[in-house]
Amino acid sequence: MKAAISQGRSATPATRRGLRPTTLVAIATLVVLAALPLFAKSYALTSYRDVLLLAVFALSLDIFWGRTGILSFGHATFFGLGAYGMAVVAIHFEIDPAWVSLAGLLFGVGLAAAVATLVGYFILYGGVRGAYFTIVTLALTLIAHHVAVGWSDVTGGDSGLIGVPPITLFGYAFIGSTESYYLALAVLTVALFGSMRLLHGRLGLVLAAIRDSETKARTLGYRTDRTLLLTFVASASLAALAGAVYAAGTGFVAPDFIALLLSTEVIIWVAVGGSGTLIGPVIGTAIVWKLQQEISSISIAAWPIALGSFFILLVLVFPQGLPAYLLKKVRALRSGKGAAP
Amino acid sequence: MESFVPFALNALTLISILLIVSIGLAIIFGLMNVINLAHGEFITIGAFTLVAIQAVGGSFWLALLAAPAVGYAIGFALEKTLVVRVYRNPLHAILVTWGLSLIIQQVIQLIFGPAPQRVVGPFPGFVTIAGANYPAYRLFLIGFALSVFVGVILLFKKSRFGLDLRASIQSTEMASVMGVNADRINAQAFAFGAALAALAGVLLAPLTAVTAYMGINYLARSFFVVLVGGAGSISGVAAGSGIIGGLETALSYQIPATVAQALVLILAIVILRFRPRGILPS
Repeated sequence: MKAAISQGRSATPATRRGLRPTTLVAIATLVVLAALPLFAKSYALTSYRDVLLLAVFALSLDIFWGRTGILSFGHATFFGLGAYGMAVVAIHFEIDPAWVSLAGLLFGVGLAAAVATLVGYFILYGGVRGAYFTIVTLALTLIAHHVAVGWSDVTGGDSGLIGVPPITLFGYAFIGSTESYYLALAVLTVALFGSMRLLHGRLGLVLAAIRDSETKARTLGYRTDRTLLLTFVASASLAALAGAVYAAGTGFVAPDFIALLLSTEVIIWVAVGGSGTLIGPVIGTAIVWKLQQEISSISIAAWPIALGSFFILLVLVFPQGLPAYLLKKVRALRSGKGAAP
Repeated sequence: MESFVPFALNALTLISILLIVSIGLAIIFGLMNVINLAHGEFITIGAFTLVAIQAVGGSFWLALLAAPAVGYAIGFALEKTLVVRVYRNPLHAILVTWGLSLIIQQVIQLIFGPAPQRVVGPFPGFVTIAGANYPAYRLFLIGFALSVFVGVILLFKKSRFGLDLRASIQSTEMASVMGVNADRINAQAFAFGAALAALAGVLLAPLTAVTAYMGINYLARSFFVVLVGGAGSISGVAAGSGIIGGLETALSYQIPATVAQALVLILAIVILRFRPRGILPS
């Protein structure tokens, strides 16, 4: 702690203005992603588009969990609300096709923001933190899933809703795989740099203070309840945006989009990439997605077992996330080599 | 009156199941600050113990004895190997027990297959109470679960184990200074909670379709029991079970069951706003 403070003060303006390592990684990743359509086949591209949107979803969880230290076990609720909001508007209302995407996006994101505000107000202002918060959000996903399955007039029940049109903005339809891929990449880029800009500034410092000691932050005059609630709502809205664009891309919604399994998978994506790094979860999503493809191709039952083992390994072997663990190993190896002769 | 009796008994069925599931959760949470997301899987383990025993021709009563033993053994082993490592960090405890829960579900499904299993309860008939017919098995369930609950209270208040446990919940450090073996109490309490959940699983099995995922619905409910009632106190568990179980049964008479569950959740969240430590905290 002491070291961190003195480091911050002694840093010269030049190094401060220089790009952070995570920003560099973010730029490099986005450049690679932008070049990907030149090499990938059209079919693979639609899968990659889905991964990009899931990465936005992971990023949204990282904004809240990574920065406040409070884990939401129910983020699929918001992803699902975005997806279902989009689908319900597109299928049940007769809106001019030129505007239906925008209406769906607004409705889905608005719905998620409203639920997050309501739930967040009651539990965050009630002083519910830490593990309790995790449990309440877990129950939220369970209930949302029940509603998605049970309210079949609106949600289509078990089979979901089919026929969500692709995103159309101001007369331009993102129909082809390349177009929709770049749309997803644009969403990811804006979300990533937007959240970096926000969280590397004052808000990020306040959240770090709350994570370290909320009582202290409150004593210093910060309205911690409000800050946490706003961050939670922002995080939920981003998750809903990812869900809405995802539904428009795949053309359907299903109760899987709002299920507990998705809520817990996203935790693994964030944790593998390293929570709190923002770009880490994006990379983590891609790694775990690839792993899931490989493992599921062996046996469908193997994936939940692998996922469960992941959770246990994560805590017992690399609690700081996979990149931090690898960095530590590399450092230990280097210093070991230096000291050995 | 005729419709009130079945309603009251339906509510009591859910409440008495919640009582014995939640007490284990409340002890583990109150004692070790561990939120055990694998708790629901012990219900499943109990139910599948009954499935396995009936498959080889054993009786319900044998399962009622064997399931708590199986639950205790598995709970004890998991506590000693995994859970003991995560006491200091509640978040880690959540992740580890969640991982365990995913693995247990999948292993059970691999052994028994994905199709729902059917088991038969010991009392097939009906009993007429105040002009209403009511399944005899459910009456037995209510009576048995309530007596188990009373037994647990007595164990807490009168036995050495209960004394050590209550002392550890108040202050683990002080209790160990006074000679309570904290490691042993933690392991025993975890296993004891698992055994009670497995017992609840046997009692539940004849009423529902037994699947590898049956635990999760009771997990969420019993967490709300603990949150609403207050962690670490028996009276809190009783109050929480009464509120959650009674309300859900009452609402599901008027509106679809899913909406009833959603309303109960909303109410629980509203209660948390005003009583963040529960209605009757320890």
